[in-house]
Amino acid sequence: MFNYDVNNLREGLSVVIQRNISADAFQWLQGHQVVDQLSFVKGAFVQMPRRVGKAKVVFSEAESQQLKHIRPGFTIDEWTTDRLCRVYLLVTKGSEEKDKNYQLIEDLFSAAEMNEQVALYSALPVLPFPELWGKRCAEGIRSNIGSVLEAIMYQNPYPAEQLDEAAWNQMVIKAFFTEKQISQIQGLDERANKELARILTDYARERQAAGRGVDPMLWYLVAKFVDEPVLDAMKRGFF
Amino acid sequence: MCCSHYQEERVIPAEKASGIFDIGIIKGMKFFDPHVHMTSRTTDDYEAMADAGVVAIIEPSFWLGQPRTGSDSFKDYYSSLIGWERFRSSQFGVKHYCTIGLNSREANNEALAEQVMEMLPLFIYKEGVVGIGEIGFDDQTAAEEKYYRLQLDLAKEAGLPVQIHTPHRDKKRGTQRSMDIAIEHGLDPHMVIVDHNNEETVKEVLDRGFWAAFTIYPFTKMGNERMVEIVKQYGPERIMVNSAADWGISDPLAVPKTAALMKLSGISDHDIELVTYTNAISAFGQSGQINEVDFNAVVDQSGRFEGNSILRGGQQPRIDKSSIIIS
Repeated sequence: MFNYDVNNLREGLSVVIQRNISADAFQWLQGHQVVDQLSFVKGAFVQMPRRVGKAKVVFSEAESQQLKHIRPGFTIDEWTTDRLCRVYLLVTKGSEEKDKNYQLIEDLFSAAEMNEQVALYSALPVLPFPELWGKRCAEGIRSNIGSVLEAIMYQNPYPAEQLDEAAWNQMVIKAFFTEKQISQIQGLDERANKELARILTDYARERQAAGRGVDPMLWYLVAKFVDEPVLDAMKRGFF
Repeated sequence: MCCSHYQEERVIPAEKASGIFDIGIIKGMKFFDPHVHMTSRTTDDYEAMADAGVVAIIEPSFWLGQPRTGSDSFKDYYSSLIGWERFRSSQFGVKHYCTIGLNSREANNEALAEQVMEMLPLFIYKEGVVGIGEIGFDDQTAAEEKYYRLQLDLAKEAGLPVQIHTPHRDKKRGTQRSMDIAIEHGLDPHMVIVDHNNEETVKEVLDRGFWAAFTIYPFTKMGNERMVEIVKQYGPERIMVNSAADWGISDPLAVPKTAALMKLSGISDHDIELVTYTNAISAFGQSGQINEVDFNAVVDQSGRFEGNSILRGGQQPRIDKSSIIIS
């Protein structure tokens, strides 16, 4: 159900969280005396900033390396305590039944405010049943809220692992379109493809026609698919 | 929900030969508009508000000018207040809070109201939700009273302030009833903001320990010259000013303009700050959801990624509106 060692991740996150929030809040987050686990998760998810605050999470380089080792590509860089604890909650207290867990996550998405959406998309790479969230991830890419897009695009291994080619291409083109930092996207080399190169080349032409520039990273993704006509045009100063 | 309900009947009076709003008068002051419906406003309004010193606002839940026909419309509306509108506001450096509630008009559709009541607990505990509102009376029907009472209980249970909309018709009586019922349900008046006051209601509201909010809204509500007189008469304690700007002819700069008029009328900077900034934060801050450090948060969002100064979430660039060229 998990595609990595979830117990190790729980343990690793728990050590970081314990140091970053109060003892009371940590105790509450464990949900020891909870009767109905799923309703606890729903309520706790919403209340998280009130309980654990929103300070930037402090952790060591060794801890960061350890998390990346447990779940390749997973990072909590620049996260706040509420975001980290929300992800931790979903990793520790979600349902082990596929349908129930799906419903839980979808319910949380359907009423999520901005920071909740950020946490939910951040959680995609560590949720159980990773194959379930491709459509949801593709839906998130349609958002126009900067922080939500960044939660999906930046330092998140999920899109490269689970999105089909059309959705992946949509994410990358949207990242260029919304002037995101392309280098923060994981899996660019592995997922580079000819169709994406074509879309990006068209995009560059359109920008040129409008007298606007493009992020030079665009050519990095196009380079290996450049064919004769494009190369010829580029040599003559347009493409 | 506010004020332009009689738009179709109204005759716009000839332009008053009054002064021009000189933004220089209030330069350096900051304002908090605790009632403004930004979903109905344009980006020009956000820019003008930010330029005039509005650093934070509260958007109460209200009706949309026509009745909703299903509960999902409510859900999407509440979601937009804590999602898209909050983001849109942040792009202009204006911190956006909201109050969540079932408005009095739509409380009259009982089948729908029941579904909305079930939904409210999903939203009222969200980050940045600073109260239950705007709730109260419109026609003062039994259904309105029923859902007003239920929402007071919800506010009490959640420890959230209540933002009360007082009715346009039979206002004085409706305001009294609203307060009586709030007391009956065990709410501390200090947790209740009674909105849309006027000269006839203010004394009792203040005497009974409630917060008195005043909506500066052309033609149908308070004018700001009258507002100046109220502050002179009653002082600044527990009084706050808002615009309630919405889809009707209204003014999102009502708070800064009223501050300017107060200043020209000799009211002290200290008192102006109380009624246009501090009091609203004291009242709605009882939710635990308002932190002044978050105002103008855009500034500290730069440089988050390895020294790269691209603003997170992307603050909107300014365009030169006087230019014929659009690029």
